[in-house]
Amino acid sequence: MYDRMQTFTKEELTSLHDASMDLLQTTGIAFNEEEALEIFRKNGFQVDGKTVFMTEKDVRKALETTPKRFTVTARDSKKSVEVGEDDFVLAPAYGPPFVAMQNGEQRKATMEDYDNFCKLVQTSKSFNMNGFMMVEPSDVPAETAHLDMLFSSIVLCDKPFMGSPVSKMGARDCIDMAGMVWGDKEKLKEMPVTVSLINSLSPLQFSQEMAGSLIELARYGQACVIASLIMAGSSGPVTLAGVLALQNAEILAGVVLSQLVKPGAPVIYGSTSSAMDMKTGGLSIGAPELSVVVSATAQMARYYNLPSRSGGALTDAHVPDAQAALESAMALVTAVRNGINFILHAGGILGSYISAGFEKFLIDEETCLMVKKLVQPIQITQDSIDVEMIKQVGIGGQYLTQPKTFQLCRTEFFLPGLVNRKNYAGWRDEGRKSLHETASEMVKERLASYEKPDIDPEIEADLSEFVWRGKNRK
Amino acid sequence: MGIQDIYQAILGFDEERTKQLTRTEIDAGTDINSILNEGMIAAMDEVGKQFSEGILFVPEMLMAAKAMKGGLAILKPLLTGDAAVSKGTIVIGTVKGDLHDIGKNLVSMMMEGAGYTVVDLGPDVDADKFVQAAKEHNANIVALSALLTTTMPAMEATIAALKEAALPVKTIIGGAPVTQAFAEQISADGYSDDAPGGVQLVRTLIGK
Repeated sequence: MYDRMQTFTKEELTSLHDASMDLLQTTGIAFNEEEALEIFRKNGFQVDGKTVFMTEKDVRKALETTPKRFTVTARDSKKSVEVGEDDFVLAPAYGPPFVAMQNGEQRKATMEDYDNFCKLVQTSKSFNMNGFMMVEPSDVPAETAHLDMLFSSIVLCDKPFMGSPVSKMGARDCIDMAGMVWGDKEKLKEMPVTVSLINSLSPLQFSQEMAGSLIELARYGQACVIASLIMAGSSGPVTLAGVLALQNAEILAGVVLSQLVKPGAPVIYGSTSSAMDMKTGGLSIGAPELSVVVSATAQMARYYNLPSRSGGALTDAHVPDAQAALESAMALVTAVRNGINFILHAGGILGSYISAGFEKFLIDEETCLMVKKLVQPIQITQDSIDVEMIKQVGIGGQYLTQPKTFQLCRTEFFLPGLVNRKNYAGWRDEGRKSLHETASEMVKERLASYEKPDIDPEIEADLSEFVWRGKNRK
Repeated sequence: MGIQDIYQAILGFDEERTKQLTRTEIDAGTDINSILNEGMIAAMDEVGKQFSEGILFVPEMLMAAKAMKGGLAILKPLLTGDAAVSKGTIVIGTVKGDLHDIGKNLVSMMMEGAGYTVVDLGPDVDADKFVQAAKEHNANIVALSALLTTTMPAMEATIAALKEAALPVKTIIGGAPVTQAFAEQISADGYSDDAPGGVQLVRTLIGK
């Protein structure tokens, strides 16, 4: 197919690959986690202090056991999701400490906000997976916040959820809690029920928390996104080609570790690298360069037969305004069109990851539904063309009263839930509302319509007790 | 009871059932005016309301209107007294120079559904033709449609011609670029921004 976005040639992909292999072999990559270093040493890797050196052979061996697709099982099995090849997941925001309010101010996020995002995901037609740290709650102790968030993620929503890679302990807690839901954590080894986000620390490092979490999660067969966020020009090269080679080295190093821990452990090739804003020194995730990297990342992942991850509705705007909409739509469309399999931040994010907005979540949700329609193929059949009907209507006729129009009027097109399509008078008479104002009203309706999904009361009680014990452990 | 079924059949977009139920009611000796007013017109009022609220879609509204017309055709020869006379006659068309007629057709069908006699002159209709038709059919209303800003002046010319002919008609206008302010400016008697609103407008202007 013809697409103006760049499709890498085999030679270009190989050049990037070769550069990454050179980096892993000669510069190496640091793992700030003793167990990781031990695993590498045990498997015959050259380890110098915290720096691990890898050969192309090591990388190729790891790639022999990585699955190209896998299922993430949901508490309600009908809501399990497929990750890989043509299938993709849309997951909400991740990490913002603030909530963006309609008046342009920010406030610290709370557990109530987190719970409300769980409820919005549960009632969403767009999002097929629940997140983790959809906001970072400020009203619970940081060391045990993951327990509160996991509890809400599991109990308030029956879609698959994201795990807690906050530390080795955090990852173990996640596995223990998932084990309670599915009866036995040993079962999880062959059944991913979570996807966790493991980030490298660019350039060429993995923190103790991330490497430790990766080991724990891979051990129990839980899926991990291994992602790199390079700020081109500060934590990585200023050229995107250099960024791709560097992030590729980091991601593949994480993949190698996962496969040493448990061959076949599901991993996702991830990136959310973008340009540094040269005027502020800040990260820009609304930049077109981000979308360029999204497309390149999808291609690199396919080169290695791995599922891919990128950001979705990303923006640098602080309120759900026109900037937020245009930047978010650009990244989301790029991710879906280019074949990304795990689209994180597909809804709610604002201000270069600093805040989450409920209105923004609903607006992004609408964009997600539109983008899903965008990639839905036109069925070319005799019936769908129906040349006889066109002849019958003839020159200058109309199709409004054709039975087919009537039959398909509710199903053939995308039906907007949020955007305005009323004429001026209709729009005016309803109060001249901008999209974010309509969204604000709908947030309230959506939260009011939420119903808690069924859960075995014993399991809920066990989880609750586990959280309580965790919060009181010394 | 039976009349309620006709009402439901129209809201269920079922022309065959509407026709069949209309025949059944006629055979059962049900009051013809009641069938018309409480069954058919009441159903179309509900359809118009649901359309305005965004519950019904355009093709569904038209399918309901078609069902109603099917029933009405059976009823018509039997109508007596007040009901035998149409609720009013509307001459409708897209003005000179404008070939767009989808919106105008929609309005036509809605008006028919509401029980009016509609004379649809089609697109690209000049002022004289509107005047002739209004005379010939004793129209209560002349409804003008335009999609193009360039053809909006033809609305003004048509209204002027109708006034000059001193016909006892009210004029209404509609179309994407048309506004209430424009209607006032060219001395049209009414404007609506959608088809069900047009039906309401006609009701107010005719007074029944």
